Amino acid sequence: MTPRAVTGTVLLVLGVGTELACCVGVLVMRGVYDKLHYTAPATTLGALAIAGAVLLRTSLVQFGIKALLVALALLITNPVLTHATARAARIRRFGAWTIQEEEDEEVERP
Amino acid sequence: MNEWLVAALALLAGLVPCGIACLRGEPTERLVGLEMAGNVDALVLLLLAVGYRRSIYLDLALALALLTFAGGLVFARFLERWG
Repeated sequence: MTPRAVTGTVLLVLGVGTELACCVGVLVMRGVYDKLHYTAPATTLGALAIAGAVLLRTSLVQFGIKALLVALALLITNPVLTHATARAARIRRFGAWTIQEEEDEEVERP
Repeated sequence: MNEWLVAALALLAGLVPCGIACLRGEPTERLVGLEMAGNVDALVLLLLAVGYRRSIYLDLALALALLTFAGGLVFARFLERWG
């Protein structure tokens, strides 16, 4: 095997392993905020490793480019989704919050 | 059966914990399981497309990745307001 193929295989195993570990983490952790932490490695490390493996091990460029596009889509959208979910969880627990205008404070003048 | 299909099969096993996470806990915890399952699904479709050497299937993985995002946002908004 060439070094390129070995690297691709290592990346594939790493990506699949990361995904499986994150799936187990989502199941095992208690509470929404702890669970949310495990979606981050799945969409950064795992997705990029799998896309890198596809890029290295396939001969067609089209596969590699589209795999990178999928990984980038996951990479960009997941933080927004995590934020929205955490926000929903907080609002469900504590209620919505509003920004109150600051009261006018007297400023001491010299 | 090549290495891509083996990897896709291994990733499919990851859907079991996500499914169990979708079945228990508070609604927002279930939503996290659903989001994780969507991410894993997109990567499974990616690996299947490479395994079967059909580049057109890769569009499906890309569409699923984007629709998981949209669906997750809608669910989060729903849970925030009415759930």
